[in-house]
Amino acid sequence: MLSPERLALPDYEYLAQRHVLTYMEDAVCQLLENKEDISQYGIARFFTEYFNSVCQGTHILFREFSFIQATPHNRASFLRAFWRCFRTVGKNGDLLTMREYHCLLQLLCPDFPLELTQKAARIVLMDDAMDCLMSFSDFLFAFQIQFYYSEFLESVAAIYQDLLSGKNPNTVIVPTSSSGQHRQRPTSGEASMLEGVEAPLFYQCLENLCDRHKYSCPPPALVKEVLSNVQRLTFYGFLVALSKHHINQALGALPDKGDLMHDPALDEELERLLLPFFRLAQIPGLVNSVTAGPEASCLPRTPPRVGSPWRPLHHARKVDAESDGSTEETDESET
Amino acid sequence: MIPGKYRSVSGRAASNVNCGLHLVIQASSLPEKNKVRFKQVEFKLNKETPSFPGRLLQHDLERNYSSRQGDHINLVSSSMPSFPILQRSSEEKILYSDRLTLERQKLTVCPIIDGEEHLRLLNFQHNFITRIQNISNLQRLIFLDLYDNQIEEISGLSTLRSLRVLLLGKNRIKKISNLENLKSLDVLDLHGNQITKIENVNHLCDLRVLNLARNLLSHVDNLNGLDSLTELNLRHNQITFVRDVDNLPCLQRLFLSFNNISTFESVCCLADATSLSDITFDGNPIAQESWYKHTVLQNMTQLRQLDTKRVTEEERRMASVVAKKEEEKKRESHKQSLLKEKKRLTINNVARKWDLQQHRITNIATNQDRKDSDSQDHCQNDGSTISAFPEETGSLDSGLTSALQGLSVTDTHLVEVDGDTLSLYGSGALECLDRNWSVQTAGMVTTVSFTFIEFDEIVQVLPKLRIKFPNSLHLKFKETNLVTLQQFNALAQLRRVDQLTVDPQGNPVVNFTLWKYYVLFRLSHFNMQKINGTEVTQNDMIMAERLFGILAHVASSELPQYHLISILGDARKKQFRYLLETKGKKPGIVNEENNDSKRLVGESTNRATLNYTTRDFYNEKLEEIKEKKKFCKIYIEDLVKEATEINMKNEALQKLWPQMFIELVRDAVMEIRNKNSYMKLCLQQITDQK
Repeated sequence: MLSPERLALPDYEYLAQRHVLTYMEDAVCQLLENKEDISQYGIARFFTEYFNSVCQGTHILFREFSFIQATPHNRASFLRAFWRCFRTVGKNGDLLTMREYHCLLQLLCPDFPLELTQKAARIVLMDDAMDCLMSFSDFLFAFQIQFYYSEFLESVAAIYQDLLSGKNPNTVIVPTSSSGQHRQRPTSGEASMLEGVEAPLFYQCLENLCDRHKYSCPPPALVKEVLSNVQRLTFYGFLVALSKHHINQALGALPDKGDLMHDPALDEELERLLLPFFRLAQIPGLVNSVTAGPEASCLPRTPPRVGSPWRPLHHARKVDAESDGSTEETDESET
Repeated sequence: MIPGKYRSVSGRAASNVNCGLHLVIQASSLPEKNKVRFKQVEFKLNKETPSFPGRLLQHDLERNYSSRQGDHINLVSSSMPSFPILQRSSEEKILYSDRLTLERQKLTVCPIIDGEEHLRLLNFQHNFITRIQNISNLQRLIFLDLYDNQIEEISGLSTLRSLRVLLLGKNRIKKISNLENLKSLDVLDLHGNQITKIENVNHLCDLRVLNLARNLLSHVDNLNGLDSLTELNLRHNQITFVRDVDNLPCLQRLFLSFNNISTFESVCCLADATSLSDITFDGNPIAQESWYKHTVLQNMTQLRQLDTKRVTEEERRMASVVAKKEEEKKRESHKQSLLKEKKRLTINNVARKWDLQQHRITNIATNQDRKDSDSQDHCQNDGSTISAFPEETGSLDSGLTSALQGLSVTDTHLVEVDGDTLSLYGSGALECLDRNWSVQTAGMVTTVSFTFIEFDEIVQVLPKLRIKFPNSLHLKFKETNLVTLQQFNALAQLRRVDQLTVDPQGNPVVNFTLWKYYVLFRLSHFNMQKINGTEVTQNDMIMAERLFGILAHVASSELPQYHLISILGDARKKQFRYLLETKGKKPGIVNEENNDSKRLVGESTNRATLNYTTRDFYNEKLEEIKEKKKFCKIYIEDLVKEATEINMKNEALQKLWPQMFIELVRDAVMEIRNKNSYMKLCLQQITDQK
């Protein structure tokens, strides 16, 4: 409550900067929306529940996009919700297209814009062949940085363009939000000979950007780490490196790649949900024999070496390793 | 002896032949009467007795003669090397002054016949003659028989103006020609040649019998001018169609057996040949058809014989009955095809509009487009006539009970009920759900198919569909812009869905790997049987649950209650709003429906939160939210500002307070420092007060 920054800012700005106002506004808004129902069980109860759900990150479920992207906490919560709800899809080993991932996103947020999904897919697919299939983990990590740092990435794209065209990016202060700008990628023309920009210079610019950026941006140390490994790199090279990096820990929304398919609590819940089905099928416990069938016949896209994705839970680790393999495969196809 | 073709010409031929033979015997025994008899024959030929095929008689008669006469003939080599000269004894000349028979003489050329100008009958049967020659002087010749020779061209006959019977059967003639001067020809026999075309006969106005059997004719044509023709034999050709027969005023017998006629249309002129009484079609493809007999009889009421069998009254009556039925059927099918065509055009039109709407018209196949648009225009022109249609079929609700097909056609949409299927094309068709369908029709419909309609528009009428067609089990979607998985959520509000068919055309969602599982998951309370024609298995269900079960769990158990209420409330409100609109007058039903919907919600508690609001509705909602947000923002801003101000004042007070306190204490201390004077002062004050 008494953090030192608090004294540096007027109260109102402090609340705004911490997004407390956003939640207060939203809470009142929700209250307005359902005032009859809520008044039945008490306004105090409502506020308790509201701020509890904000803390738990469940407040973003089925909400409109403008709210979901309003605060970093909302973004992280949404990422986490997406991961939790559709982890099973990734676990099944299905490779999906950008549009299908978009559909899944829309299940949680009906007005989720296609543009964001496209950008995320572009990070995975290196901007070409947008109809290609992606593994869940590839998409998820790319989507993470695209969604969480979306404004930051816009600015980075602008800076990158300026660097490419030889301008001094530091003179550019307002990042343009025109999304088409960074699509003219240096795949043709003079840039193809010397692809990308020089990493140190790029880093300098980014550091500068991080300093003055009002939206959330990745920790400069991480950026430095990514950029210090190479001499030159392209915009998408940067994004791919960033998405592969342990930016998770910085965000805290998603587990590490290795643990991506691991969520014992929900798995238990799923088993409980599936019980009636097995009882119907009259082969309780024989999970493998039941599921091997449909998986073989209905999901031909499943890479053959990912055997039966529905192993009993204690094999979850192994499945992870295999899905890592599929990631490598998509990497190969990109180059 | 009698050539086969002749024997089969007519069933009655045999008796005539007998008759002829009889006469012959008479003639030979009484030579004097011979001339008389011949005249009789001649007379008969002129008389044109229809029931008496005189030519047969003639033919047989002469053949019999020749066999008797041959012995008395001397063929003397002439001075000219190539042509033999024929001479007969004067006796013979007297005996058979008007006839000469040179049958089976192995002649390769026609001999020069001298001093026989009175000859009226000449017979060259069964020789090897290749060319008709040396007979131009026989100007009184009436009968010329060249049957079974090797003649390749009709020639050398121009002077024989009185020739009445010309028999050229079984030769090698390729073309009918050089008959210009034979104006009084009565019988022309050209059977067994290689003629491909009927020509150069139009001037033979006295010709009664024409035999063209066993030739190479491919069609019958060019018959005008043959005003006396009563019998035409065309058996054993390759005729596929017959024309011009209606230009033969006297034709009675027409033999078309063993040709290649397969439709009645190709011989339809026969219907107008009023004098025709006897016809044969046997050995043609047409005779194999089931409709053959009654079609022929119906179209040719003048017939007395068909394929050598007498046509009975019964048959005629049958034919007319069948024909009438046929006619009705045709009319019906015509009507059907008309409707079908209209349907096709309308669907085309709807499809085009849809394409325009979807901005999918490309530059490819612009020609085709133009053609299409032509037909569209046509359809639109028809619009005025079609527009009467919905009215007409407006009674379809009641009329449909008996009829299987009802069509309501307009330009922009199409509604069709075919058996148990209700097909809707174009968004306008959705309005039909507002109509009052008969209970029976509504109950019968189990399949509802949507084509060229935005799914979002369909969603809005689903509650109506639920009420109007309670038995609909199978939903079909084609070209409906199903793009996202969440759109399937909307189907959950239906009563029952057993089968779902989503055509990949115009529904990109089908390309997704997961769509089937999502449908199974979201609509699991329906216990779906089939998706896109594939049976749903237990494994599919498990898979669906595995993939999306957590989503449902998260949605139901982790959703904060206030939000859950708002989501469910929306759905309930939506339903309620519709029910109020339509069934407001009957509160009883509202209650029932309400209970129903509650039960439905209960069935899928944990996935009821996964619902779908159409884009328009959602945008509306977002607008609403925006408004509220604006208000909330201002409200909160004011609140917070007030609070911060209070806080600031409070803080300022807090900051000042210690100093103030010290000052206060200091003042107090200073005041009481001089105890005596302070006491004095106090006392003074007390006394002053009194």
